[in-house]
Amino acid sequence: MASKGTSTFIFQRLTAVLLLPLTLWFLFNVVAHAGASFSATTGWLSAPINAILLGIFITTGALHMRIGMMEIIEDYIHGGLNGTLNLINWVVVIAIIAVTWWSLFSLAF
Amino acid sequence: MAKGAMQSKQSPVTARPLSPHLQVWGWTVTMASSITHRATGVALYSGTILLAFWVYGLTLGPAKFQPIGVFLTSPIGIAILAGYVWALVFHLMNGLRHLYWDSGRGLNYATAKTTAWAVFVGSFIVAAVIVGAGLAARGAV
Repeated sequence: MASKGTSTFIFQRLTAVLLLPLTLWFLFNVVAHAGASFSATTGWLSAPINAILLGIFITTGALHMRIGMMEIIEDYIHGGLNGTLNLINWVVVIAIIAVTWWSLFSLAF
Repeated sequence: MAKGAMQSKQSPVTARPLSPHLQVWGWTVTMASSITHRATGVALYSGTILLAFWVYGLTLGPAKFQPIGVFLTSPIGIAILAGYVWALVFHLMNGLRHLYWDSGRGLNYATAKTTAWAVFVGSFIVAAVIVGAGLAARGAV
């Protein structure tokens, strides 16, 4: 990652700043929907604005946490497994994003 | 670096150049906040995976989702949700410290120490208010 250090640094900060309002929105809705029924929850997510904001929250969070986990891998794992673990890290993050958007589309239509 | 931040537990006589790993340093609140930032980050990594599973679970319909709902409202489920909320609040508040440092400010030890304490105390209060409001909203308290 030596050639991408600056862009990774900037992307980590950019996602961090985006996550500030998204997290406040998310936490507000966690409280607002605590104890809500199944139909009330899916009803809330069938509104495009809510589904899109939840999708953006999870996507931005997943991309942000990939960088954090990559830093941990680089700190503690030297050589050998490093590349494999970073690949698994990418796969997990892409899977989270794909499952989230697929599910949100299924709920909306 | 201010005195105290780099204190070794070893006596000067036996002190040798050691790799700066956790056990050789005296505990400071700034160090605790740094470690907690990373630990909550790892916790949120798992939490985000669970959140994606939760959204996927909603697509399965009310009958198949039912056990997930039962688990989330059990004492263990509520403890996990409360822990997730605190991790999210701590990481957000301590993340603000990081962004402040990125602007080149707040880096002296006295300020870093004050803001570290503020984040620890503040995150517990904010998380407690959110979890309390959530429990009140669902009629549990």
